[in-house]
Amino acid sequence: MTLLEVKGLIVNRSGVPVVRGIDLVARSGEISVVLGSNGAGKTTTLEGLSGIIPASGEIVLDNASIAGASAGKRARAGLRHVEQGRTVFPEMTTEENLKVALHPDASLGEAYELFPELVQRRDVKAGMLSGGEQQMLVIARALVGRPKVIMVDEMSSGLAPVVVNRLMSGVRKLADGGMAVVLVEQFATLALGIGDRAYVLRRGQVVYDGGCAELARDPKRLHHLYLGDSVQAG
Amino acid sequence: MNSLLTSAVAGLSAGGAYAILGVCAIFNYRLVAVVNFTGAAIGAAGTFVMVALYEAGFPLAVDVVAGVAAGALAATLIGLVMTTWFAGSSASTKAAVTAALLVGIIAVGLRLTGGQHPHNFPEIVAGSAFRLAGVEVTRASVLTIAISVLFTVLTEMFLARTRMGLQLRALSQRPMAAELIGIRVKLLALCVWAVMGAVTSFALMVIAPLRSPDFMSISLLVVPALAAALIGAFTSFRAALVGGLMIGVIEGLASGLDAFSQYRGAIPFVVILAVLLWSQRGARWDEAR
Repeated sequence: MTLLEVKGLIVNRSGVPVVRGIDLVARSGEISVVLGSNGAGKTTTLEGLSGIIPASGEIVLDNASIAGASAGKRARAGLRHVEQGRTVFPEMTTEENLKVALHPDASLGEAYELFPELVQRRDVKAGMLSGGEQQMLVIARALVGRPKVIMVDEMSSGLAPVVVNRLMSGVRKLADGGMAVVLVEQFATLALGIGDRAYVLRRGQVVYDGGCAELARDPKRLHHLYLGDSVQAG
Repeated sequence: MNSLLTSAVAGLSAGGAYAILGVCAIFNYRLVAVVNFTGAAIGAAGTFVMVALYEAGFPLAVDVVAGVAAGALAATLIGLVMTTWFAGSSASTKAAVTAALLVGIIAVGLRLTGGQHPHNFPEIVAGSAFRLAGVEVTRASVLTIAISVLFTVLTEMFLARTRMGLQLRALSQRPMAAELIGIRVKLLALCVWAVMGAVTSFALMVIAPLRSPDFMSISLLVVPALAAALIGAFTSFRAALVGGLMIGVIEGLASGLDAFSQYRGAIPFVVILAVLLWSQRGARWDEAR
């Protein structure tokens, strides 16, 4: 089932078009991976979708248009954006970080089941957690809000490979539980390994829309999609 | 000696008000990240609404409620300006905006209240509560101190134990992250402003009859309020509470000493200077080494 459908998304930064008319779909139980080199428009796409920065185009969440709604309204409608930079509330404990986002129908147990590592750290201030724990916490915090779609931005940035693998399996679990996940990631191989559908962005436009497995099998094509004609020239 | 004690005790009611204003300043800063220069002016607006109704012959209880509501409304309007146009601005820009608003509110307030024109300020609580070492402690002193202690304790409990308190703490730490988990950021921020306006108005109504009761003098109580908040490093409600009371008592003592009485108005500035110098002691110490 399609939970998020985006058509003709355009997002500007300081008057400069960064995302130039992209279409994107996120389905229940699937991970849609958004790839691209630095400056391709991946983070800007998520910020436009979540309402952090203004965007134009159609954004339909579970058959209801959310285009033009504030970031808070989009979140309450079921679209959660896990920003890059591990945006925990640093002076609050792990458990308080979860409680503040807790949906009436959700329980803290769901968060601890997803990332049992957080149980022992429940009374520790989130600012004192390791980078990996903070990333687990913000993903778990999004989960307990009972969203329909979770968008995760660059969760592997600056983390050890073993931690990244742990996070990737956590994100896969979210999708397996029925959510639609949009995952923006620089580590293409890892993301394609857990994803279902891939979008490759270049200069704010989608240059590939298809299966993850297909793209993972063809690294040369992926390389070309990232870098465009410069590969041929080189 | 007894006259000094009398002066110190006399300073308690002002100290209680400074404490409330200081705690409110921290309330504003911690929860909506604004160093608010308009706090006392908002309270002055509420107080003068109360006075206007009193002079028009309305019952005192009605006047007080209307004044508190007016203070809450004025604060909400300022909160609306801050959350609508300055939500993403730096702390210094927000502080500068509230300083500019303070000047505007004082100008309008003086115009509407007739400048130095004397008004009939009702005493909300009159008379003596008890005697302390032979000195009368007024009901106004007891009430302002009780409000400041109660507000401090309730605020701490509210922030630590309620869901709305959690949301406010989240909002104060990362406003955008708070919005992205669905917290109603603007509504909560306006609630903070409204509570601050209501509490400040009531505190100033209690002490206004004991001060120079013109709009400007009351509005400039922001100075001792910020001095108290500075003692609390804009984070500790309890330290601000103690700091506000301490400033009031020192002012009272100074007024009882002929050599210092004419300089009592400078005491909050001295406190601000002392706290700022003290806060820089580490840097100076390192430099000296």
